[in-house]
Amino acid sequence: MLADLPTLLFNTLIWGMATFLVAAGLTMIFGILHVLNFSHGGFFMIGAYVAHSLANWSSAMANIWGFLLASVITAAVIGAVGLVVDRAIFRRLAHVDGAYVLVATYALLLVCNGVVKLIWGLNVVSASPPPELFDVSFLGNLVLPHYSIFVIVAGLAVFLALEWLINMTSVGRLIQAIAIDPWMARLLGINVGLIYSATVIIGFALAGLAGGLLVANQSLSPDLAGIFIIQAFGVVIVGGMGSIRGAFLASLLLGLADSFGTALLPQMPGLFFFVALAAILLIRPRGLIASGRLS
Amino acid sequence: MSRSHATRFLVILVILTAAALLLPFAANRGLVFLAGVIAINVVLGLAFNLLFSTAGLLSFGQATFSASGAYAAALLLLRAPEVPFLAVLVIAAATGAAIAFAIGFVALRRTEGVYFAVLTLAFAELVHVIIAKTSFFGRNDGLTGIQRPRIGPLDLAQGNAYYVFVILVTALLIAVLWWVTHSRLGRSFRAVRLDPMRAAFLGIDVRRRQLEAFAISGACAATAGALMGPLTSIVSPDLAHWGESTKPILFTLLGGAGHFWGPLVGAIVFSAVEYGTRSLAGASDLITGGLLLAVVLAIPGGLLGLATLGVRRLQARPAAPSEAALPLAPAASKGETL
Repeated sequence: MLADLPTLLFNTLIWGMATFLVAAGLTMIFGILHVLNFSHGGFFMIGAYVAHSLANWSSAMANIWGFLLASVITAAVIGAVGLVVDRAIFRRLAHVDGAYVLVATYALLLVCNGVVKLIWGLNVVSASPPPELFDVSFLGNLVLPHYSIFVIVAGLAVFLALEWLINMTSVGRLIQAIAIDPWMARLLGINVGLIYSATVIIGFALAGLAGGLLVANQSLSPDLAGIFIIQAFGVVIVGGMGSIRGAFLASLLLGLADSFGTALLPQMPGLFFFVALAAILLIRPRGLIASGRLS
Repeated sequence: MSRSHATRFLVILVILTAAALLLPFAANRGLVFLAGVIAINVVLGLAFNLLFSTAGLLSFGQATFSASGAYAAALLLLRAPEVPFLAVLVIAAATGAAIAFAIGFVALRRTEGVYFAVLTLAFAELVHVIIAKTSFFGRNDGLTGIQRPRIGPLDLAQGNAYYVFVILVTALLIAVLWWVTHSRLGRSFRAVRLDPMRAAFLGIDVRRRQLEAFAISGACAATAGALMGPLTSIVSPDLAHWGESTKPILFTLLGGAGHFWGPLVGAIVFSAVEYGTRSLAGASDLITGGLLLAVVLAIPGGLLGLATLGVRRLQARPAAPSEAALPLAPAASKGETL
């Protein structure tokens, strides 16, 4: 073994929580609308670029609060885009065959790529985190960059917030009811269309939030969407039908496979993610948490 | 398969092949090169549509098959030049079929909906990572310096000889795919797609049929991929990237999945759009995405579906003018007009 165990587990957490941040919104939309949204990666990428521009125009990166504020603004912007996408596209896909829906969202991803290339160009840009997160702590042999700790905390916070939203609030219970049986929910007088729209907006806002929070971790290029959407797809599929808990668990599990795999075979980074994805799907074809939808 | 059907297909194929063969007399070298790439893409689209429309399997990993053929051919041409090129193509086809069989064997355990699509995507990326990180396959640089081969006394490096060869092999592959689609085998693929359980009751081995469809699609895509190396003189890991897997899907839906020739129309239109917007970074993504979105939302039958509908309306107009005013029925998207 090349790296020590604590470092590997720390890497697992970083990979897992960064991916979970992106996958959370994808899971919401998959769980309620049953749309596996390719363009989620695109809107995550646009979120990262928006946050980057915000940081350039203002002094958002001067401290951690400005950074958080920029992320929240980005979430709001992408959430508003979600409203438009829901009205213009998702509603029309309600009665379209699943394969065509997948392709439609892929087309939307291409549009996102085009928008990014037109507005921000092809060059790779990067942002550094605010000064509070620039430092590094040491714990024995373990190197802990503060920004990585921040990403882990942010992932946990988003997970807990979604758990609270879905299980503890009345809106969450409505969302669960619709996820289980939209027909019955409609019969009971629930405004299903409104909840669908709300879900899409929340899902997109989460993509924007992830883009804002992870902006300092990435070199921004038009390839960003493709890299993250494949990982997030894996997490959502392994997690089960739109289960937030499942996605959280899957993020950690696939992160574990990725960090241990990369330590074992450093010449093939990323290989073990796909190996683990295929293996888990073959053992548990319906994902880790298959019973309750959006639990 | 009815005889008139086959005759019509052959007439169209001969006309298209003749047009492609006459192109070098009318167009410059750049366009002829592009036509060669399009011809290869047409086969990739048709091979995808054999799975999608005939066998009912949405594969997001077609790049694996074309890339495996491209790499098999490139490796043989570079390391074993004594192997005749026609044998190279056969070996590439066998490689594609074997890889498709192996992936299908695992992925077909989950055939419903997005799970199968994501499984094929995962396996395709697995292959992509292996190709891009192994020195045997030239890592990220790929394999370069692939020469156009000889076939017996014919030197395909001369003039447009290789282009002519690509067109002829493409025509042959199109004929094979048409024959499979309309043969007894193709009908059993369709039976499996329409209702797997009923097909099973009728004595069709569902999984075996799906595996066969996968292997045939893989073999055809790999043969087409094998033509790519000598044409561009390089094969790179980009050929296996999942973006390449989505191209046959774009061609098929753009042209019309319900028509045999749909992927051909889609590949030509798509390439024309890409060629027209090649100097504008971003615009080509925007236009391709917008076009595809418009097709899925407004004309799910694709361009050929729209054309067929238009022709029918023109024919129907004298008899029933009111029908022409009807909006596009969603049911038209699933129309079988093979």
